[in-house]
Amino acid sequence: MTMALSPSSPESPAGASRGKALAAAAIRLGALATFAAIMAYFALTARGFATPFNIVNVIEQSAILGILAFGMSVVIIGGGSEVQTGGIDLSLAANAGLCAAVFATATNAGLPAPMAIAATLGTGMLVGAVNGFAVVGLGILPLLATLASMNIVAGIELTLTENTVLSTSSPLLSVLSSGRFLGISALAWVLIAASVIVGLVIHRTPVGLRLYAVGGHPEAARAAGLNVGLHVWGTYVFAGLCAGLAAILIVSRLSASTPGTGELLLSILAAALLGTVFSRRFVPTVGGTVLSVIFIGFLANGFQLLHLSSYWVSGVQGALILLVVAVTSYARPQEH
Amino acid sequence: MTTKTAKGLTTALLLLATLSPALAEELTLEGKTIGITAIGTDHDWDLKAYQAQIAEIERLGGTAIALDAGRNDQTQVSQIQTLIAQKPDAIIEQLGNLDVLNPWLQKINDAGIPLFTVDTATPHAINNTTSNNYSIGAELALQMVADLGGKGNVLVFNGFYSVPVCKIRYDQMKYVLEAFPDVKIIEPELRDVIPNTIQSAYSNVTDMLTKYPNEGDIGAIWACWDVPMIGATQALQAAGRTDIRTYGVDGSPEFVEMVADPESPAGAVAAQQPSEIGKLAVQNVARHLAGQEVKPFTFAPAVLITKENAAETAADFLPK
Repeated sequence: MTMALSPSSPESPAGASRGKALAAAAIRLGALATFAAIMAYFALTARGFATPFNIVNVIEQSAILGILAFGMSVVIIGGGSEVQTGGIDLSLAANAGLCAAVFATATNAGLPAPMAIAATLGTGMLVGAVNGFAVVGLGILPLLATLASMNIVAGIELTLTENTVLSTSSPLLSVLSSGRFLGISALAWVLIAASVIVGLVIHRTPVGLRLYAVGGHPEAARAAGLNVGLHVWGTYVFAGLCAGLAAILIVSRLSASTPGTGELLLSILAAALLGTVFSRRFVPTVGGTVLSVIFIGFLANGFQLLHLSSYWVSGVQGALILLVVAVTSYARPQEH
Repeated sequence: MTTKTAKGLTTALLLLATLSPALAEELTLEGKTIGITAIGTDHDWDLKAYQAQIAEIERLGGTAIALDAGRNDQTQVSQIQTLIAQKPDAIIEQLGNLDVLNPWLQKINDAGIPLFTVDTATPHAINNTTSNNYSIGAELALQMVADLGGKGNVLVFNGFYSVPVCKIRYDQMKYVLEAFPDVKIIEPELRDVIPNTIQSAYSNVTDMLTKYPNEGDIGAIWACWDVPMIGATQALQAAGRTDIRTYGVDGSPEFVEMVADPESPAGAVAAQQPSEIGKLAVQNVARHLAGQEVKPFTFAPAVLITKENAAETAADFLPK
């Protein structure tokens, strides 16, 4: 297992391996430098960008994307970061939309908060379990399996909401939307707490190590006695859990479930894939994901402050995905 | 502007201008920054109102920070948050879901930034510039009842009751129908959607024509705006059911063209002046910032274009 986690595989020639490692380091540093340069540019040119109020706003605005990006990152860790055949969950945003509709409906039906939360998280995890079954049990490529489930889930959301805004309110939602502690909003705290918890589990426990092993070298992991299928299945269920959690945050922020949550998919993918640039082997890490979520948040914010159309943000995110996939495919250590 | 109605409209506008304490020319936004947040600009009405606000702010010498949320509530909420952080001299909010917006409009108030709205009635705004949706709703409904001869079934699209102007027009329509018990709304009501408004209305109406195949089963189709009515009218034409007439609000050029076409089943449209509404909203901001009193609402006149009067009224609203 330690062998599986080493930066280069034994069969690559030492010179090529060193070259790749050098390229990887250059990309990592380049990404950080670009990030810093863009931040500096916004700070100098955009009115109000560097104020503490604005920075806290961006972190708060990033909470929903952050939780969802953790789900996507874990799926990529467990399923491997090969773009075509590796782990991916395209249904994540649509799942969050469905969960938000379930949460609003359950709250409006008078269900007590714990039951509404359970129904919401349960819905998300059920969708995740079905995704996991399609990928592990039926052997369908994750890209196709979750593309299909994305449409099924979006359809169920439309059926439930009839494409309308389901407004709702509860004491829990008020605390989440306007609660503050030490001057930082509840949503920002949720992001901080989630980062710490997911970070500890992924990077400091055997579970995390096993996930990297399963995603990086499934055959080696299987030979070492790990239940690869169960681990991969588990990542999809976790992604579903993230969708459920994000849904509760969405409803708190909008006082309603609204159509259009599915549009988050591009940002989630951009955040999870961009996050891989910050790791030595171009695999997702919690720190890398947090960094790219915040980066995407600042990007959207900076564009707004510079009065650039928000439509550009989608274009930039799409371009980032292409760039990251191209660069990491080139520089990733040859493993097969 | 050669027709009687258009003249009346001009007179009304002149009257509005002379009645106001300061003429538009004297207003200024020199050195002021005005934030604009709109839920979307993908429809003719929204785009005209939005662009008119930016143009008027710039004409008065101010700077506009105009943010278009691309029809996504989460984006609009984030944009409002960002606008508050920039501390503009005033914010103008245009349309959107009130349930979603109200807590955030409250935050604009809390930040001490004067809030104005376009077509959005909320207690948090100093002024709402809009059409008189009460009269629009009632007039359109009365026209529909008259065309029906006081008897018949109405297919209603009601997907946007959470949008304040739609609520007013719908409630007014229901109020008018109370007096005409032989005019009934077909249950369940249909839902108009964004995006794919036209396609979705087309297939909804086609399905309902299959469900109610006999002449007289449906007499009219109504929506609180006119984009779904474009699809509904196309569906009626395709099915050859020109006995049914369609009714909507806004004055989207394509629908006005249908109403003006004697062969089309489009019945009537309450045509608004979104550019005028956007302009008046900005002038209200300028008045407020100059310390003048601004009333809680400002109405821009609308015109009811019917099959009968289209020859005189439709010209200004047809595609350019």
